[in-house]
Amino acid sequence: MSNFTALPTTLTQALHSHYARNQRWGFMWALWTAILWGAWYVPGTALWYEHPYVDIPIDHQSTRLAATAVMTWIHAITVFLFLLLWNTSLGKVKDYARTMVRFRKISKWYALASLCGGPMAIFGSYMAMGFIGPVFAAISSLFYPVIGAVIARLWYKEKISKRAAIGMCIIIFGGMVIYGPSLFGEMDASNPNAWLGYVGGIMSAIGWGSEGAVAGRAMDVSDPDVGIHCRFSFEILFWGVFILPALAMFTDLPIKSLIIETVTHGKAMLWIILASACHAYCYTSFYKSFSLIGVGRGEAIGNLYAVFALIFIAAFTLQLPQWYFIVGLILTVLGSFVMFSEPAESVSNLRDHTDMNSNTAKG
Amino acid sequence: MKLHQKGFLLVALSKSNTLWDDELIVQAFIEYNIFGDYSEKTIRIALDELSAAGLITRVEEKLEMNKQRAKLLFRYQLSDFGKARMIDTGLLDG
Repeated sequence: MSNFTALPTTLTQALHSHYARNQRWGFMWALWTAILWGAWYVPGTALWYEHPYVDIPIDHQSTRLAATAVMTWIHAITVFLFLLLWNTSLGKVKDYARTMVRFRKISKWYALASLCGGPMAIFGSYMAMGFIGPVFAAISSLFYPVIGAVIARLWYKEKISKRAAIGMCIIIFGGMVIYGPSLFGEMDASNPNAWLGYVGGIMSAIGWGSEGAVAGRAMDVSDPDVGIHCRFSFEILFWGVFILPALAMFTDLPIKSLIIETVTHGKAMLWIILASACHAYCYTSFYKSFSLIGVGRGEAIGNLYAVFALIFIAAFTLQLPQWYFIVGLILTVLGSFVMFSEPAESVSNLRDHTDMNSNTAKG
Repeated sequence: MKLHQKGFLLVALSKSNTLWDDELIVQAFIEYNIFGDYSEKTIRIALDELSAAGLITRVEEKLEMNKQRAKLLFRYQLSDFGKARMIDTGLLDG
């Protein structure tokens, strides 16, 4: 996003080129979010087929939930390490420390976002993968941009143009076309714990939708690479200091042995590391796109993860996509193009400042 | 501890009526003891993000010709929304 142009141009041309470049970067980051998020479902599901998770009987609800909590915590720690690598290479580690220490006014929003994204969305998604399956886990989150866009609109008055709203609707409809028939195929009446998977799916949609809107409060005044690092730092603390110790102390769930068996089992750790690599850089792209094209647009393009999830799942399970996949693919790509075709300058000015100022004044 | 980079840029703008991006870059270079193209681009991206979020506004722009290259420069001003967000986040006294 350099301000330099190779050839001398008029000011108007240079400005248009500058805005278009910012918009392109914003949408590119959102597209990376979709690719890496889609890829995440493969290692995320494979983890359930490894020791110690595969050994937990299907009817041991509480143990499977404890296992989900443990894998989410270890996942958060490895994501943190990948982000440390990222921010070290970008020279932003000092900025991370400077942002973290301003808890009362800034990083508290990342702490709240981590509650929405971690114990709610990622935990819910692992539940959906473990209790039902990856296809359901993917479809159940498809509505998160609608939740994010509505919260962003109501809370801090982010503009949603008619064109953006139409694009979002097409993308969501496309996702439903892709996953709807598969969803019914995955429903299994013989699985008494399926309801936990459905609850997990709802948690993931609400969690991810609200996470983007909440994190947006802090991202206004801080760096997105640093912000996502703060968010995962708080998630590690919530699981490691509060939730898991409480479960270990007040229940007879095998938290300690699950942690030890996970970190000492090579294949489980391999899947967690692969899942974390996808998630770390998916989230980085996600937060970067918010800064340039807004929460609503970033989340809607990120929703193309459904297409990529199906491609990756098909590649690893060798089950070819059905006809409705092609229809859904066309719809979701069409939806993203409807959003992308907004004039560049309109994306450069995302907020309804007049409304915001009057709200602030009232507050 | 020093302010984080975006916080510093906002505070610098709150102390002046308007500032060109080159002036902000010089101030950030001195504050954080950094230099070079990479650091300059990082600060320009931060200004782009602050502008897209509506915290600062571009009040003037100019095209500077320099050895076959054209460089787009912006003069920024803190917006009312930016001031409100700075007060919310403890960067400015209300």
